Amino acid sequence: MTEVQDHSPAALDDRDRHFADHAAYGTDLGVSLGALRLANPVMPASGCFGPELAGLLPVHELGAVVTKTLFSQRRSGNPSHRLTESAQGMLNSVGIPSPGSAEFIRTVLPRYRSFGVPVVVSVGGLAVEEYLRITEELADVRCEALEVNVSCPNLEHGGLAIGTDAATVERVVSGVVARTSLPVIVKLTPNVTSIGDIARAAEQAGATAVTVANTFPGMAIDLEGRSAVLGNGVGGLSGPAVRPMVLRLVWQAAAAVRIPVVGCGGVSTARDVLEFVLAGATAVQMGTATFTRPYAMTQVLRDLDALCHELGIARLADVRGTVRI
Amino acid sequence: MNTPLDTEAGIPVRDSVTPLSDGGTRTGAGLPAPTWHRARVLVSTPYGRGYHFLRLEAPSIARTCQAGQFVMLTAARDGDDGPVLPRPMAVYGRDPRAGTIDILLGVVGDGTRRLASFGPDERMLVVGPLGQGFRLAPRTRRVLLVGRGIGTCSLTTVAQECAGTDVEIVAVASGRSADRVVGADVYRAAGVTRLHEVTDDTGASDVARLRDLLTADLDQAPPQQIMTCGSERLARLCEELGRRWSADVQVSLEAHMACGLGYCHGCATGTRSGPEESPLICADGPVFRLSRQDAER
Ligand SMILES: Cc1cc2nc3c(=O)[nH]c(=O)nc-3n(C[C@H](O)[C@H](O)[C@H](O)COP(=O)(O)OP(=O)(O)OC[C@H]3O[C@@H](n4cnc5c(N)ncnc54)[C@H](O)[C@@H]3O)c2cc1C
Ligand SMILES: Cc1cc2nc3c(=O)[nH]c(=O)nc-3n(C[C@H](O)[C@H](O)[C@H](O)COP(=O)(O)O)c2cc1C
Ligand code: FES
Repeated sequence: MTEVQDHSPAALDDRDRHFADHAAYGTDLGVSLGALRLANPVMPASGCFGPELAGLLPVHELGAVVTKTLFSQRRSGNPSHRLTESAQGMLNSVGIPSPGSAEFIRTVLPRYRSFGVPVVVSVGGLAVEEYLRITEELADVRCEALEVNVSCPNLEHGGLAIGTDAATVERVVSGVVARTSLPVIVKLTPNVTSIGDIARAAEQAGATAVTVANTFPGMAIDLEGRSAVLGNGVGGLSGPAVRPMVLRLVWQAAAAVRIPVVGCGGVSTARDVLEFVLAGATAVQMGTATFTRPYAMTQVLRDLDALCHELGIARLADVRGTVRI
Repeated sequence: MNTPLDTEAGIPVRDSVTPLSDGGTRTGAGLPAPTWHRARVLVSTPYGRGYHFLRLEAPSIARTCQAGQFVMLTAARDGDDGPVLPRPMAVYGRDPRAGTIDILLGVVGDGTRRLASFGPDERMLVVGPLGQGFRLAPRTRRVLLVGRGIGTCSLTTVAQECAGTDVEIVAVASGRSADRVVGADVYRAAGVTRLHEVTDDTGASDVARLRDLLTADLDQAPPQQIMTCGSERLARLCEELGRRWSADVQVSLEAHMACGLGYCHGCATGTRSGPEESPLICADGPVFRLSRQDAER
């Protein structure tokens, strides 16, 4: 419909002020995932970010951007409802709809590239061969790392089994590593008996880093309707509710491997980031927090700089894994 | 919402809509770029039975928001443990010069209760304007707006935008009882041609009676467009009237949302999985063209 013309000068709004603001204390937040240097440890969690956010936060300030998990073939995802809320968290059963690799390379990836920060392409599959195929399809594509999602708990077949079995993880990861020159990050499922065993399998297969972790399987019931809330019946739990569990998994994984650990689960403040780093994380991913506040990641970056200053931390990497038990 | 009138066996409306932007340009030309405000709450006051009125200082959104677009309101205050997902809300009214938007909340759960608890001078995070609004065709001279309960909030800005133009508005505001009919004040202020307030307690909101009322009112001079929100059964009635009058029918849909921007894929319409992902309510909608695909096949 027609836009009403208003000739009063547009006031500088909150978003403009956030874009103009910057970290003030000069804390060294730089981190490395193998050969991949990041200006800072904050990046989005797969599936919780998109180029649609471009005008809502200064994306170019992030350490990296991460795409939604890409499948080789086009996929439509799960039936609605795909989202619901729980105490301090949310459940999703989106089910990873995907444009497929050809469409992704043609129309989606260029939008991620335009931010000018490292691009991590998350890849998935429903069988070992599918991971190898998508890696081959991305062979000539410009991105800075792959994140292999072996952990999605809500796919129709296979997803759960791949991430929970060390031998299968090793097969997938070694196959991917053999087919790419890029750093390979392996995103683990939290739904395992020993995260250390799975992290070690990824490390032995040549992974550059592990992300800990994906969502926790969960369920919600509509009592009045006596039915499952989610169209898929079950979904993955994320948000602040999972943070203590993920913190423990990060600590365990960091103790089990030499490669960097990327913490993911419930991070929403600078204090959360620092806790993850103390537990052994090199970097963090933020997902649900961006839904609550689209500018959460860049706000955390500024706050992290200030918090480190306050705590006398000149270089973030200096305190990694230094939690006293 | 959540009224007996809103549910009906059969194919859900959400499974029989098509995006207004054929070809699917989500970041479409002509749509204002979304922004956010930590908006000062100017007015926060109970309204009718079970509703709450908010006036927010959100100048950019007030300036650019199109009729039928929505915003996301974060119910968690900074530093507190509120709900992690923001709540999608229609812009019920806007004043581009004052830089304010009005929201009418149906207080139904934790999120809307928290939003209603924001007092004057508190700051509320508002992201918008979002989604595809109602499309008024250039040739349209008469529009029928059919809203049920809080769903009427998505339609009121259509009347506001048509005020003072040569487009005539006939509006239906339906509700369980007189104190649950929404939008009458905005419609009157916008100078709509006719307003039909119908309620369940008098039986006037019954679909058959409403059909009689509307055909008697409009058969002689039918609308070119019908816009509806808030009830499956009223949407089906609008669809039927659309066929009768060869009018274009647009419907605004609801879903639980996380991002409101089209990247999380949480709000797909489809209650069944198909080979293609169904449209996203936040980005392809919330306003869709209502075409009953099963009837066309
Ligand atoms: C585009 C759009 C515009 C909307 N405009 C308005 C508006 O102007 N005013 C208004 O009051 N509400 C509006 N809604 C609905 C509003 O978003 C929900 O009522 C709100 O999110 C409920 O939050 P809650 O925490 O209070 O309720 P909850 O505790 O989350 O839920 C209470 C009940 O409402 C159901 N519910 C929750 N969220 C939704 C939803 N998004 N869609 C359908 N059912 C839901 C739940 O299943 C439950 O039965 C709109 C929704 C959309 C998608
Ligand atoms: C809506 C939604 C979609 C997601 N999609 C993906 C995905 O495609 N691939 C993936 O590896 N993880 C996906 N995740 C999991 C997140 O990347 C992240 O691991 C999880 O949400 C925990 O982090 P958080 O608590 O910060 O959100 C998704 C999560 C949500 C909420
Ligand atoms: S709410 Fe995220 S895609 Fe619609």
